[in-house]
Amino acid sequence: MNAHQPVGIVMVEDDEGHARLIEKNIRRAGISNDITHFTDGTRALDYLFNDRSGPAHNGPSLILLDLNLPDMSGTDILSRIKAEGSPLRRTPVVVLTTTDDKVEIQRCYDLGCNVYITKPVNYESFADAIRQLGLFLSVIQVPDVAEA
Amino acid sequence: MPDGRAWISEQRFNRLVVGGVVLGFLLVVASGIAAMASLIQNQRHTQWVNHTYQVERRISRFRILLERTEAARRGTLLVEDQPQISATFARSLAELGPSLAEVARATGDNPRQQATLAAMVPLMAQEIAFLRRSAALVRSGQRELAIAEFRRTREAGLVRQLRAWSERLLAEEDRLLALRNMAQRGNQRTFVWTLTVAGLLLLGVGVGSVWIILHYTRNLAGSRAALRALNEDLEGAVRARTSELQRANDEIQRFAYIVSHDLRSPLVNVMGFTAELEAATGQLVKLVDQVEKQAPDLAIGDAKLAAREDLPEAIGFIRASTQKMDRLINAILRLSREGRRPISPEPLDMDALVHGIVDTLRHRVDELGADIVIAPNLPAITSDRLAVEQVLGNIVENALKYLQPGRPGWIEISGRREGARVTFTVADNGRGIDPRDHDRIFDLFRRSGMQDQPGEGIGLAHVRALAYRLGGTIAVDSTLGEGAAFRVNLPLAFSNEGRALS
Repeated sequence: MNAHQPVGIVMVEDDEGHARLIEKNIRRAGISNDITHFTDGTRALDYLFNDRSGPAHNGPSLILLDLNLPDMSGTDILSRIKAEGSPLRRTPVVVLTTTDDKVEIQRCYDLGCNVYITKPVNYESFADAIRQLGLFLSVIQVPDVAEA
Repeated sequence: MPDGRAWISEQRFNRLVVGGVVLGFLLVVASGIAAMASLIQNQRHTQWVNHTYQVERRISRFRILLERTEAARRGTLLVEDQPQISATFARSLAELGPSLAEVARATGDNPRQQATLAAMVPLMAQEIAFLRRSAALVRSGQRELAIAEFRRTREAGLVRQLRAWSERLLAEEDRLLALRNMAQRGNQRTFVWTLTVAGLLLLGVGVGSVWIILHYTRNLAGSRAALRALNEDLEGAVRARTSELQRANDEIQRFAYIVSHDLRSPLVNVMGFTAELEAATGQLVKLVDQVEKQAPDLAIGDAKLAAREDLPEAIGFIRASTQKMDRLINAILRLSREGRRPISPEPLDMDALVHGIVDTLRHRVDELGADIVIAPNLPAITSDRLAVEQVLGNIVENALKYLQPGRPGWIEISGRREGARVTFTVADNGRGIDPRDHDRIFDLFRRSGMQDQPGEGIGLAHVRALAYRLGGTIAVDSTLGEGAAFRVNLPLAFSNEGRALS
């Protein structure tokens, strides 16, 4: 079914630069899926749950989530997505953030995050990580919301 | 001792008090001696008075004897054959001489009496001779003759004279008695006065002593209370200071965490886009190379320079700087993360712990040929094992790192208990720290002396943060070129009291 309904990528990242770097590296990995970018949590949540073309109503997607957002913490969004009864419960969430704090990583996995990636300042490893994520995206099967 | 002047005046006061007490007691002793002397004097006076009475009694006895002898003589002259009267006469006559002799003996010390007596003795002898003759005449029955002689001797007035003389004797003794009585009364008055003065002095010294004791007791109680208050104050101050430090430390930890996160975010961009620039530069270099090859006539000297030198150089500097910044931010992050780690106090065998630290450094110690001495019986504490290990380990590592070249390294680790706290000292003979830098070295990213060793200036900042978290402090004593001694002061038992406030 992924064949006729491509996986949309929703990126919640307040830093435009980071967003651009992530996008660039995803494209370099050969991933051409649509990327919808939000710089704040409120609009991202609205799109995720309510928008007609959003993942809750319109097919499978993958969420790239930064934890440091201006209006809310990324973990709030994560817990909303992974909450009991949420239509996006099975949607894969990749947390992409600057923190490599063990406690925070644990908390994210506890909340149901699927992959946690630290943004390293060493650009090569960052680019590498993103490219691998791209490869990963090309092979994973993303559940269709309608089936959930 | 509030100030020097008060101290001196107190000293003078103390000397005054001691002097007063000693003087008082001396006076009491003196008045006691005076009373004693007066008592002895009194006794002597009494003796003299008694003596006078005795003398008077003897004189009276002599006078009685004289009168009785005279009366008995007359009796023998008046009545015939009265053996009883004759016997009385004879007996009285016999006693008369010795009686006067007794008076003479008793008044041997008085020249006036002796003079009187000297006048009396020949008269007495004469009289006694008359009397004996009279008695002999009566015995032999010549009464008429005896009576005639009696009349004759009466006219001579011997008895009258003797009476007069003996009255003089008595008068003299009376005079003496009056004198001696007066002296005794005077002496008694003196005695009473002496006793009164002694009593008053004793009272004074007693009252003074009691006052002094009360004064000192009050002072003592006052200073004890002040000391207790000061002690409590001190403990409170230490507690307040420690909790203040811990609060400040927590604040810094939170701040550092936030800052390092927010600093990292833009750094990701700088690094990322620098890499993009580098990649783009690569493309440019390729283009320049191609242009150079295919159209060598084109004047692209500046572009060549930019692509081949300026851009790579700029990118290189940006990279080096961002990498350094990344290291620093990571250091802050590590520090703040370390500061957020929960402290779990446990009883620590410091001997074992310090030996453990030194063992982990053994390789470097041997390599440097340094000597590490661990004092025996380090005081045990209850604290966080990892934190204490990091604090002491870091200081020992520093000591090894900054040894004075050309001098065999020597490091001594010792500990001393001070009430409810323990001070661990790590002393070395290394290169030392300039006194101007003693505070600075505990600041983050600050280092002192020659920068010939790797490091970011994080270790001691970390150590200090940890020491604060453990409710402790850290200080350094050092002379440049002679070594340093780091003193870590920790509570005997870690308590969460301070932290509960934060």
